[in-house]
Amino acid sequence: MTDEATATEKPSDNPILFVAKPMLTAARQFARSLVRPSTVVYPFERLEDPAFRKEVAVAPGKPIGVGAIWDNYRGVHALNINTCISCNLCAFSCPDLCIDMVNVPGGDPKHPKKCPQIDYGKCSYCGFCSDACPEGCLTMTTRYELSTPKRAEMIYSPTRLFEIYRTKLPMNPIRLERPENEDSILLEPPLCIGCNACSRDCPTNCITMVDVTKPEFKPGEKQPRRIWKEPVINDSDCVRCGTCISVCPKECLFWGTRK
Amino acid sequence: MSEMWLNMGPQHPMTHGLWNLRVKIDGEMILDCDPEMGYLHRGIEKISEDRHYNEVITLMDRCCYVAGLAWEHLYILAAEQALHVTPPERADYIRAMCDEFQRIASHLMWYAAFVQDLGLMSPFLYGMRDRDLVLDLFQSFTGARMTYEYQRVGGVRSDLPAGFTDRARKVLDWLDERYVEYDRLCLGSTIFRERCDDLGKLTARDCIATGVTGPMLRSAGLKRDLRKDRPYSIYKQLDFDVAVADAADVTARYLVRMEEMRQSSRMLRQILDWLDHHPGPVLADRLPRWLGAPYAPQGREGYLLKRNYPKGLGFSSVEEPHGEAQAYVVNEGGEHPYRVKFRSPVFANISAARHYLVGYHVADIPPIMGSVDVCVGEVDR
Repeated sequence: MTDEATATEKPSDNPILFVAKPMLTAARQFARSLVRPSTVVYPFERLEDPAFRKEVAVAPGKPIGVGAIWDNYRGVHALNINTCISCNLCAFSCPDLCIDMVNVPGGDPKHPKKCPQIDYGKCSYCGFCSDACPEGCLTMTTRYELSTPKRAEMIYSPTRLFEIYRTKLPMNPIRLERPENEDSILLEPPLCIGCNACSRDCPTNCITMVDVTKPEFKPGEKQPRRIWKEPVINDSDCVRCGTCISVCPKECLFWGTRK
Repeated sequence: MSEMWLNMGPQHPMTHGLWNLRVKIDGEMILDCDPEMGYLHRGIEKISEDRHYNEVITLMDRCCYVAGLAWEHLYILAAEQALHVTPPERADYIRAMCDEFQRIASHLMWYAAFVQDLGLMSPFLYGMRDRDLVLDLFQSFTGARMTYEYQRVGGVRSDLPAGFTDRARKVLDWLDERYVEYDRLCLGSTIFRERCDDLGKLTARDCIATGVTGPMLRSAGLKRDLRKDRPYSIYKQLDFDVAVADAADVTARYLVRMEEMRQSSRMLRQILDWLDHHPGPVLADRLPRWLGAPYAPQGREGYLLKRNYPKGLGFSSVEEPHGEAQAYVVNEGGEHPYRVKFRSPVFANISAARHYLVGYHVADIPPIMGSVDVCVGEVDR
């Protein structure tokens, strides 16, 4: 009798078959589970072990229902402090507002470097921050064990994230490519006062202040109070973080297509 | 014995979530019932108005926690219409693949929970075990097992990893054998048949009157499936049948869902073949800068967008594992949607409880409500 025939058959009227047939099915299942267990003996076995990665799907005589943790698993972040440019994009892209930019110890005390600090009590592991990182220094690792008795320990400082980076866990290999025809940051020259704020705060130093010619004024005409310089933005170095737009006191920078 | 109202919920093993079913009983007989929803309301529609278009996707996974990718697809279809964005064809196929795998995962979850309501522990474990294989597949390309955050306005986040289609085919082969096994465990079991046959009848007329959709509607003999009737995405290119049953009872719903999983496998094989032979981009290249996931808008940009970007409305309806889900997105300019509205199929399905519960016994409630496939996350949103 085929399986399909058994499946669609109505219950038997014979009292012995009535009891025995379902029990036989269950016994068959039980016997199969002895040969091929479906469980992982955590923490002695772990899903990130390379052995599971080979057996992710079904192979006869091997464990089933066991999937590896793949490299693109979105777990705890790893931060390379050395390549971080403090562009703020991770903090801006976070839907949970769990990323703060905090000072990193060391370096110039007058101009401390700022790097992301992540509160894992709020983090939803969506990966938008690592997608947003233009330098690829904030990535997600396969680490998933986070439990701690203290709530404050859920906040990972940049130094702690750097330690995770140095453990060389598998990092998320997916890097989003920058779209072509990306918008650039443009300037409305009449509004600019040449204050240098954009150039000073640019994380990639792609803004240079160049001299502009001072127009000739008639005697007695009111002159604008400004420095006769203007920012020039190098589009190929720009990471489109928008820091210059947010620091500009005269709102003379804006997004647009460069002609 | 006099009549009384009985609260089943908000914390009751029958509810599969957080809602309350009030039933009016006389002895063991159900005279009336009153489903109360709202215990899991998180205000997802309102929160969406304060998120960028791509950030709403994180909420969609939490909206329906057993069919996250299907809800992502639903929202994305409406958002793309509102924002005048067209995804590449490969992204469309990947999304349809996500939908169908999600349908299998969701139905397996339903199967596991439903048989456990009946007191059958072994099929529960088998259902959960096999669902894990699908989740493993999801994890290998989205990076998460439950909250995927994979689809983006204009495509999907990343292409499938190498060797994915072969692994997926292996899983499908394995699952095809398992469907037979499930049928043998349930339909072959006398206890199951005597418990579920002629239980929770909901006629086609009542289905139409109460807005019931999905497998419950098809179990009443109505051949209504959005993938056939109003094909969205790439479903026009696929060859499949709509699963229908006539009995309109709990067993019929079981049969429809099992057949749907088989049809999903059939569709998935076609999709996987297509994906093998058509490499290409998975994210549209000409997106507005502020829609590309990596870049968050700042400064005066919101103001400028209001001036420059065309407005639009988006509406989509998708055959989600539970039924017909609908989304409505209003783009009034700016980086946030002005309004987002969802129609949950399960809300209608459990609101009609009076039509399929009255007249049965109290002990019949767990199997009947189990056969509805309740996901309270999307009911309350």
